[in-house]
Amino acid sequence: MKGGRVGSILIALDRARARRVGQPGQRLTPLINQVALYVLLALGAVGVCVALPRKGVNPQPIGALLAAGAGGLVMLLLGLAGPEHLPNIYFYVFGAIALGGALRVITHPKPVYAALYFILTILASAGLFVLLAAEFMAFALVIVYAGAILITYLFVIMLATQSPTEEEADRLEDYDAVAREPVAATASGFVLLGVLTTMLFGGVKTLPAGAAGARPEAARDALLARMPGKVESVLRTEGVLKDGEFVDRGGSAVDAAAGTITITDAKGGTRVLPRDQWPERLSVRNIEGVGFDLLADHPGAIEIAGVILLMAMLGAVVLARKQVQLDEEAKARHAARLAGGLTDPASAGAGGAGA
Amino acid sequence: MLSGILNSLAALMPAAEAGGDLLHPPKGAMLMLAVPVLTLVGVLACTICAVARVRTKLPAWISVACLAGAFGCVLATFLGYEGPRHAVGFEWIHLQWGGETPRGGGQVPIRALHANFGLYVDTLTLLWMLFVTGLATLIALYASEYMAGDVRTAGYSRFFVAFNLFVFSMSCLVMADNLLLLYLGWEGVGLCSYLLIGYFYKKPSAVAAAKKAFIVNRIGDLGLALGIMLIFVKFGTVEYATLLADSKFQGFLAAATAGDFASIPWDIQLIPALLMIGAFGKSAQFPLYVWLPDAMEGPTPVSALIHAATMVTAGVFLIARTFWVFQVSEYALPIVAWIGAITALLAATIGMAQFDIKRIMAYSTVSQLGYMFAGLGVMTSVGAAFHVFTHAFFKALLFLACGAVMHGFAGQLDLRKLSGVQKMPGWRIVGVTMLVGCLNLAGFPLLAGFWSKDMILAQAFAEPGYSAVGWVLLLTAGLTAYYTFRVYFRVFVGPQHFEPGDEVHGHDDAHGHGDHGHAHAEPAHDGHGHGDHAGHAHGSGGGQHGFHPHPPGWAINLVLVVLAIGAFAIIPLNFIGEHAGHGGWAADMVHHSTAGPLPAGAGHAAEGHGGGHAEHGTFLGMDPHKVMYYVSGVVGIVGIGIAFVLHLAGRTEAARSRADGLLPALGPIPGWAQHKWYVDEFYDFLIRTPLWVAAHLFHLVDKLIVDGLVNLFGFIPRALGKAIRPSQSGVLHGYALAMAGGVAFLLLIVLMAAL
Amino acid sequence: MMHLLAQANPPAPMHAVTLGHYLFVSAAMFAIGLIGFVSRRNLIIMFLCTELMFQAAGIALIAFSRFHLNHTGETFVIFVLTVAAAEAAMALALVVLLFRRRESLSGEEWASMKG
Repeated sequence: MKGGRVGSILIALDRARARRVGQPGQRLTPLINQVALYVLLALGAVGVCVALPRKGVNPQPIGALLAAGAGGLVMLLLGLAGPEHLPNIYFYVFGAIALGGALRVITHPKPVYAALYFILTILASAGLFVLLAAEFMAFALVIVYAGAILITYLFVIMLATQSPTEEEADRLEDYDAVAREPVAATASGFVLLGVLTTMLFGGVKTLPAGAAGARPEAARDALLARMPGKVESVLRTEGVLKDGEFVDRGGSAVDAAAGTITITDAKGGTRVLPRDQWPERLSVRNIEGVGFDLLADHPGAIEIAGVILLMAMLGAVVLARKQVQLDEEAKARHAARLAGGLTDPASAGAGGAGA
Repeated sequence: MLSGILNSLAALMPAAEAGGDLLHPPKGAMLMLAVPVLTLVGVLACTICAVARVRTKLPAWISVACLAGAFGCVLATFLGYEGPRHAVGFEWIHLQWGGETPRGGGQVPIRALHANFGLYVDTLTLLWMLFVTGLATLIALYASEYMAGDVRTAGYSRFFVAFNLFVFSMSCLVMADNLLLLYLGWEGVGLCSYLLIGYFYKKPSAVAAAKKAFIVNRIGDLGLALGIMLIFVKFGTVEYATLLADSKFQGFLAAATAGDFASIPWDIQLIPALLMIGAFGKSAQFPLYVWLPDAMEGPTPVSALIHAATMVTAGVFLIARTFWVFQVSEYALPIVAWIGAITALLAATIGMAQFDIKRIMAYSTVSQLGYMFAGLGVMTSVGAAFHVFTHAFFKALLFLACGAVMHGFAGQLDLRKLSGVQKMPGWRIVGVTMLVGCLNLAGFPLLAGFWSKDMILAQAFAEPGYSAVGWVLLLTAGLTAYYTFRVYFRVFVGPQHFEPGDEVHGHDDAHGHGDHGHAHAEPAHDGHGHGDHAGHAHGSGGGQHGFHPHPPGWAINLVLVVLAIGAFAIIPLNFIGEHAGHGGWAADMVHHSTAGPLPAGAGHAAEGHGGGHAEHGTFLGMDPHKVMYYVSGVVGIVGIGIAFVLHLAGRTEAARSRADGLLPALGPIPGWAQHKWYVDEFYDFLIRTPLWVAAHLFHLVDKLIVDGLVNLFGFIPRALGKAIRPSQSGVLHGYALAMAGGVAFLLLIVLMAAL
Repeated sequence: MMHLLAQANPPAPMHAVTLGHYLFVSAAMFAIGLIGFVSRRNLIIMFLCTELMFQAAGIALIAFSRFHLNHTGETFVIFVLTVAAAEAAMALALVVLLFRRRESLSGEEWASMKG
């Protein structure tokens, strides 16, 4: 019954695939054979499950290898999907680093290393953002995430960790050393992943040519019409403007619909610059696009973001100022640990670290 | 509520046209209206005393003043009496409905329920009100001393509030011009009876007795209410005058007079039967008499006023007031006669075997009420009313004398533990007045009780078909004489002896020294030390050293003497007026009221004493109206003689008498009688046990099925919760896992569905 | 790489890499973050995992932004960053408080709201 159901899914997928024509920007055939994908996902799941920290025998490296291998195979299959899909090498590099870093974030028992791996993931993601022509977001990501948030994390990790004594410098807290319900967690996570990838690879579209800034010409020109200063400066730098000529900043010098730029000379005469004569540099950059989108199209949004941050800051201040007493249980454990540490580290380990 | 009253007052002018309005009342209307108003003033004043925490005898004096005023008003009305009078206080109830046109066409007739707070005063009313207010005044005076033990508590005021409220209700009942106001008074006296029986509300037996009285009365009241409703449904009115003038009713009455009962619809004949049930309940007739003996748990003045003299005669009054209504039924009056006779005999036999003197008096009351009902049943409403009148005097007297004994001997009422009381110092008046009362009750020749009882007996024999009733009543007369004098001979004469009752401590505590000093300041009781000595000398059997019998004070003695004189004073009333020798004045009073003979006075409805009977019953071949004097006198004297032989002659100690020797010969019968023929137990078995069983059965049903169902619905979520609860571990990871798994599962379903 | 960053008008066709590639990376990262959140017991690492999931969402948004050739997705990522920062501030303040109370970073310590 179940096999029949899966088989029918595959048949349906095949039919859907057959209908799709491989044209750029159009629906394409699925990138990966479904069965192979599921097998690889299962393998990856096993790998992640094994790689999660646990007590006693530690097969973490094997699991990590397995997971990484599965992920790599998926990538490879993605690349092998067709000659026209020959992978951009940067995508694979950044993707692999990002996913590997993420894997290490969740498998590394020590929080400090997890945080550092997370920085690695962030950096790789920033690389992916650049590939996607979102340079502003890439830099913002590195600055905000890697620079601010993760440093905060590191501070907190330092604040909220027992200062290790010399003899147990490598001692792990019990809750760090052992993952909780790794099988169930991996299962649900990978079922989700499987469902998502089935949808993703059921039929995909190639990305359109050009960067995000390389919009359809009319849209790009509409943006240019909003910045006559930039137009004039680019035209002047490129030498299109002669002496005494300028682009009228007050009027509608750039006609996005007609695709023309009206240039005014010193005597008040005008000439029209059609689109095919525009210099190549006369385009909209990512940061300009984001700027207009954020500040002109969504002006309220940035205000709201500011308020959210302000509130978070106030909340953090209020919370952190609160004087907290150790509750009784923790005090007792603390005392036991101190006493145990003085006399018998082994017995203290029973209550504290499992390693 | 208030606006309703104001509306009623606003409507007073037009409503009062029948009897004039308050500003221009007909002659005497103000006097009549003053009676309920004065008693209400008493209620309010005593309530204020209770609220203001007055701890003196003030409420008693207020009550006596108000009641005396009411009595004065009644007396003035009586002296100025010129004919039936109608006084309207205000429009009380006016409901109107109907008149709308239903969809089917036609028109719903307009009907209206109209009742005034109006008084109808005729001679029957006056007769009743005279003894009600008169006795109430005297008994309030008596109670002022009798209840003195409670004067420092709120109970004293409470007692007089209920006392005045009772008289108010009774005046509503008796003076009402319509059945609704009568019903108000009827329920009012029931309520006051309940309140006063349960006066000692900390005493479980008193509470039980109060509940019993109330519940048994409910049965009767239901009958009365249904009867009134049926009257309204059938005749469209609740006012006596309108009812009696109703042409339909006149037609039925004519048919009944002609003996043509078949032409009267059954539901018309049902009306008297329903009213009768009400009368049986209130007047303690078989089978609803069981509450009255228990009602003796109340204070003795209450027993005397409510449960002997006045309230219990309300049933007689109801039947007398609606006597014409009773005549439209073929069976109502015969049933009344037989029930009365059975009750009289039953109560007398029970009374013979009791030892509690107050209880004996209670059974004698039930028995005498039986006489009255029998009298009504045999068509002598005159005799019944006359007996009510005389009985009120001597029964109040008897009760008050018994109460004095109870008061003086710390609640002791057992006739085996008291003896020779009359000879003790300070008790002479009580003894003598008790003797007067006993002679009256026993029907000793030429006394008031003799004449009234004789009228009923004679009429029972004279009325054709009722001679069996007559024989029963005659037997009862003998028994009455016997048990009455059993009490007198055991308690008041004979060797001196007493054992105080169990209220000795409370009694002494309750009587403040001031009160004692007050009582002993009377010269008549100067010999208290003497009494003390006598108590010690003769009370050794009780072993209660230090207890002094407490002779009654001036108020109790005064009331006893007044009542005793009254019992004699009413004798001459029998020999004046047009019914001289046959009820006399009282008979005239009743004769000229609605309880009198039918205007169309054919043979059926005529009074027996008036002659003119088509057929005349006989007593052993003689005219009962001529020989019954001698016969009943002899029977009474024989009864007294037997009591003398069995209970006084040769008796040397209190607890034993010659009668005890006879008991074995009678087998178990005296025991049965002492247990009241097991009527209470029979009711228990017949009504309470099935109810108890049904209650427990329904309790089980309720518990298992109803509750079970409800509990099941409560249990399902609880069990479900218990099963699911472990999943709520409180650990964040669990919730996260559930959420992630749920999302994955949902997406899986969406994917499957999409394909 | 540098020419990608320096380009004024990047004409480089990226047809070889489909939207699906990026979305797969995004989904995988999200799944990893989810697994980490569910299975790791250290509160700090759990919050790191939420940041991972934010990051995955960010990648998807940027990819869609690129796919549709507009900037709305990027604007949305600014929000994601904002929320992530706010969340980090609050969550870490809470973590510090909780740690001070129990001297433990285990998420399982705080289970008093169980049924």
